[in-house]
Amino acid sequence: MSRPGFVLEVDDRTPPLIVHNGEGFLLERFPLGTRVVYPPEALPAVRDVEEAIQNALLNPIESEPLPELLHAGMRLTIAFDDISLPLPPMKKPDIRQRVIEAVLELAAQAGVDDVEIISANALHRRLTPNELRDIVGERVFRSFFPEGKLYNFDAEDSDNLTHLGVTKHGEDVEISKRAAESDLLVYVNVNLVAMDGGHKSTSIGLASYKSLKHHHNSHTMIHSRSFMDHKASKMHHSAWRMGEVLTEHVKVFQIETTLNNDLFSGGLGFLQKREWEWSLKDQASMLAAKRGLAAAPNKLRHKIYTDVRSPYGLTGINAGKIEPVHEKTIEMVHRQHMVEVQGQADVGVIGVPYLSPYNVNSVMNPILAAVMGMGYHFNAYRGNPIVRKDGALILYHPVPYEFSQLHHPSYVDFFEEVLSESTDPATIEAKFEKQYAEDPWYIHLYRTSYAYHGVHPFYMWYWISHALDHCGDIVWVGANRKTVERMGFRSASTLQDALEMVSHSVGRSPSITYLHNPPHLIADVR
Amino acid sequence: MSLADKLQDKKVLVTGITGFVGEALLHRMIGDLPGTTVVAIIRPKGSMTGAHRMAQLLKKDIFKPFYGEGTPYADAEALTAARIEVVEGDLSDVPPLPTDLDIVVHCAGDVSFDPPIHEAFTTNVLGTKSLLERINESRQGTDRSIHYVHISTAYTAGRRRGAIPEASVDHTADWRVEAEAGMAMKSRIEEQSRSAPMLAKFRKEAEKLHRRAGHLTAAVDTERRRTEWVAKRLVETGTERARSLGWTDCYTFTKALGERVVEEFASIFPTSIVRPAIIESAVQSPHPGWIEGFKMAEPLILAYGRGELPEFPASPDSVLEIIPVDHVVGAICAVMATEPELNKPEYYQIGSGARNPLTFEQMYAGIRAYFSDHPFDLGERGAVRLPVWKFPGGDSVEAMLRYGERAHKLADAVITRVPRGERTRKYARELDVQKRRIDFLRRYMDLYAEYAQAEMNFVDDNVLALHNSLEGDDREKFACDITVVDWQHYLQKVHCPSVTESMRRLDVVRKKRNKGLAETAGVLKKVEPNADAQIIAAFDMDGTLLSSNVIETYLWMRLPELDGPQRVAEFGQMLRRLPKLISAERKDRGAFLRAIYRRYAGADLEELNRIVDEVLSEHVLERLSGAAVRRIREHRAAGHKTILITGAVRPLTRPLEPLFDEIVAAELAVDDRGRCTGYLSGPPLVGESRAAWIKHRARKGDIDLSKSFAYADSHSDLPMLSVVGNPVAVSPDVSLFRAARAGRWQIVDWKTPSTSSRLELPGVNA
Repeated sequence: MSRPGFVLEVDDRTPPLIVHNGEGFLLERFPLGTRVVYPPEALPAVRDVEEAIQNALLNPIESEPLPELLHAGMRLTIAFDDISLPLPPMKKPDIRQRVIEAVLELAAQAGVDDVEIISANALHRRLTPNELRDIVGERVFRSFFPEGKLYNFDAEDSDNLTHLGVTKHGEDVEISKRAAESDLLVYVNVNLVAMDGGHKSTSIGLASYKSLKHHHNSHTMIHSRSFMDHKASKMHHSAWRMGEVLTEHVKVFQIETTLNNDLFSGGLGFLQKREWEWSLKDQASMLAAKRGLAAAPNKLRHKIYTDVRSPYGLTGINAGKIEPVHEKTIEMVHRQHMVEVQGQADVGVIGVPYLSPYNVNSVMNPILAAVMGMGYHFNAYRGNPIVRKDGALILYHPVPYEFSQLHHPSYVDFFEEVLSESTDPATIEAKFEKQYAEDPWYIHLYRTSYAYHGVHPFYMWYWISHALDHCGDIVWVGANRKTVERMGFRSASTLQDALEMVSHSVGRSPSITYLHNPPHLIADVR
Repeated sequence: MSLADKLQDKKVLVTGITGFVGEALLHRMIGDLPGTTVVAIIRPKGSMTGAHRMAQLLKKDIFKPFYGEGTPYADAEALTAARIEVVEGDLSDVPPLPTDLDIVVHCAGDVSFDPPIHEAFTTNVLGTKSLLERINESRQGTDRSIHYVHISTAYTAGRRRGAIPEASVDHTADWRVEAEAGMAMKSRIEEQSRSAPMLAKFRKEAEKLHRRAGHLTAAVDTERRRTEWVAKRLVETGTERARSLGWTDCYTFTKALGERVVEEFASIFPTSIVRPAIIESAVQSPHPGWIEGFKMAEPLILAYGRGELPEFPASPDSVLEIIPVDHVVGAICAVMATEPELNKPEYYQIGSGARNPLTFEQMYAGIRAYFSDHPFDLGERGAVRLPVWKFPGGDSVEAMLRYGERAHKLADAVITRVPRGERTRKYARELDVQKRRIDFLRRYMDLYAEYAQAEMNFVDDNVLALHNSLEGDDREKFACDITVVDWQHYLQKVHCPSVTESMRRLDVVRKKRNKGLAETAGVLKKVEPNADAQIIAAFDMDGTLLSSNVIETYLWMRLPELDGPQRVAEFGQMLRRLPKLISAERKDRGAFLRAIYRRYAGADLEELNRIVDEVLSEHVLERLSGAAVRRIREHRAAGHKTILITGAVRPLTRPLEPLFDEIVAAELAVDDRGRCTGYLSGPPLVGESRAAWIKHRARKGDIDLSKSFAYADSHSDLPMLSVVGNPVAVSPDVSLFRAARAGRWQIVDWKTPSTSSRLELPGVNA
């Protein structure tokens, strides 16, 4: 049985603790009394994955078994979560491959021959053929890709979008025409964290900008507290309303899978162990990794990290009607991630790792680093943020001035043109969003190359608006001063300096909470 | 009798009145010799007539006390009307003169030490002669006595040593022969420069640098080199001729010959010859420290103060014959009032060495003391470190300088061959600063070494006698006794403060400007839409928009098609040819491109397009500089026409198509099966062809080139950048960097994202 997460209080026997710091990590000594939130250890994995999949498909929740939904001559569309999940990418075979293969098997048995497989990437970048292959597997790729039956969703292809109607709040629901006109839409999800899945899968993953802008805006996102709790997230509320409209028109068979916390293996295995329990081998590999990474040239370090594949175990798979399936999923995710934390702290500390959902096979640019710290990790709470209102947030990441011109062309411009004028999400939204969203060059790159949509950096910035609003001080440790300053933050050389810098608002001996993740966790702050 | 009385009602012709001495003389005559009328010969300059120039002159501060309230003259015009008569003309062609002259003071002359030989003769010898003839004509056959005062220089003594008497210089050079030969040099050298071997030499040198940019650019440089050579030869010829006869340089040589001319006329006019030494700022009048422009010592004083003069080839004990300008003017006024006999010209040497010598070492100490107390403030780095002179002697300074010149040449050869980059450009800039200093040193060493090592002693008994003959307060007003000057006081409190003042003011301005420049360096101004005319923005591709070159992109395009062993073979061949290709690239970019593109023979054009779309596009986009794309889009947003002009093959530009209104690229010719023939369907657009293309485009399309933009990275793009009003050098190579700095063009650094790797070959390992 795996051990649950817990909160460690740093005392004089506590060894230096791992802090993720971009493509590298630090061993940091925290002030006495710092509370360190450790995620639960990896839950035991399902022993027979194939059997679990079959079981889910044949005994779905509040739905007919999948075979009964399949019949010859029907139009079947399978949509799946794109490369932003899971993080890090999964060791082969990907769980989506296994599920899709099982679905296709049943479809073949039922004589369905009009099948299309769509990566539900919304405004994310297109996946390269290789990336598609990694997710769906060689067999599916070879049978579907060359014929154009396996492809990326294109939110700008107006000929292939269908407007399904508006919600009771007046929100447009516009999704992939193929999905909308299918007799059955099977969605294959990977529910790594609580934010994913549910109605978010289809009504966001296959939606156009017109539809997305109803919830991806600064107002909604500042009131999503948090994204990891769909019942308290305005964005999710909107997605749920859209889901209701959507499911009126389209029959959706939702398949959700949950993974355990087995992120790092081999040489990096020590990263998911508790520091005082490191074996001699762990200590040796930690030292080797630390020295090796420090000595490696940037590109090699980048490659080492990019090549990390996680040996996740499947903890559960549920299929059927969206809401009840998602209930079960969330329950499982919570069991894997939830850690109870008593009370908020004056200072929250977060180590930003090398990877965010939006820089798989790419570089983490400053905006993504901010999002990973202040969007993803800061929002990893239920109830209340780990930091009290107007408390301080201290983040670790080098935040180099580094952008992928291929993947994030609008990010560079956003950083140079927009952030230099304002860092206020609402101002930015009012003044620049439309221009970026409708820019023909960005749209061209989004549709034909591998670029995130022009408006995507705005969504990223909106995502951190909750943290910006909630925290009084935001200080980065060891970051490039210029890039951090451009984003409106401050930079300190050490944790001590950072604490010194925020002492004017939180005092000399603040209470500190350090989120020791990844592996992922959700702080259930009481 | 006072001088004013003696010179009452005299009409005095002054030449060179706009010069340093002339101006001071005019000031003194208006102020202290109220009975005189000044006739000024002034040369019209540009659109300014002589009278205009006189009016300008009188607006200067030193003349302001002479008119307006409390003076007899209401304004400058009234003053001019009462006291001054302007005759428009030039010494090379002296106009007819007024017929009632009493005295002529000839201060005009070429004061530069290294004039081209023909100019030196024109002003210093022939000009003097024609002036004297005109003066004679003005007498209209009468025997009216006109006192001719000739301002010469003490250094007409040339390279003689020891005491120099106040007498005619003893030499046998015939001024007529020398003048004729000197004037002939002009056409002779001009002719020589146009001979085939010389022209070939200039062309080769020019092409070495500019061949890549094109023939016309090279031709412009060839002609520049020729005219420069002519000018240099004319100076050299003058100097060498002077030295061959025992003078230091062409200036003193022609001045000495000029005296001979004057001596010939001494039978017609009572004649005085005044020989000042090195004239510097005033001790008293018009005001202490008054100086106009830079004379001999000023550039050196300033350079020393800036820490840029590490050593000087002077003997520490050699005497520097400095004389304040008011002493010279005082002496001239006193000389005007004398009445020399015909055939017996009087000589006056105004120097300081005889009775109040200032050695080089003392002068150095004075200047050093001044700058120690009042250092130049050159920016944020505090006071300049002043060099300590050890006076090692001319030869070792010369050796030092030669060593510096050689080191610079070597470093320069290296810097133009190493790969470009921010650091290379920084070194190049430092080298250029170094070069400027070395050139400065070289010029002043060559000019002044002779003077700084002179061991002459100018006897000035006549001047002393003149001073002593002054009566009453004339001794104060027209003082010319050098012994009253305290050199250290003069150097530290009068001269140096005065000559550095304008520089200090300039420094403040420069500091502000540099600060502004530093803040905006590398930042392009936002482009504005323009309603009046169509504006274009032309971009080069390789090296400007993305880091790539033709060889690299060729490999990108060809390798994906080939299998393993073929790839290795292709790669090996390219590697083997690399040295040859690089040298071809240095010479002629067009030929280089053709050599590379020949290798496309046999490739399927459709297949190349497909490779670009499927494999390369990603790679090209990844390497695009974000700043470059932003700039292109900014132009488009402003309604400008964006044009990509590249020597790269057309398929490679496909990923960039949406960014440009027009793309000009090399078109691969194909045969009937759609296979590349290895030839291009037209010559590649490089160097001057780009400029020609843009010009043609502008004529056709009503485009305002003066408001248009061009962006490029290499020297071969110079012509293209030169045709537009807003050229921008993007991460330039050293040659373009230098051209851009010289033309004050914008220089920006558009970096290729660090995330892309040069070692990745798309379709092969990436």
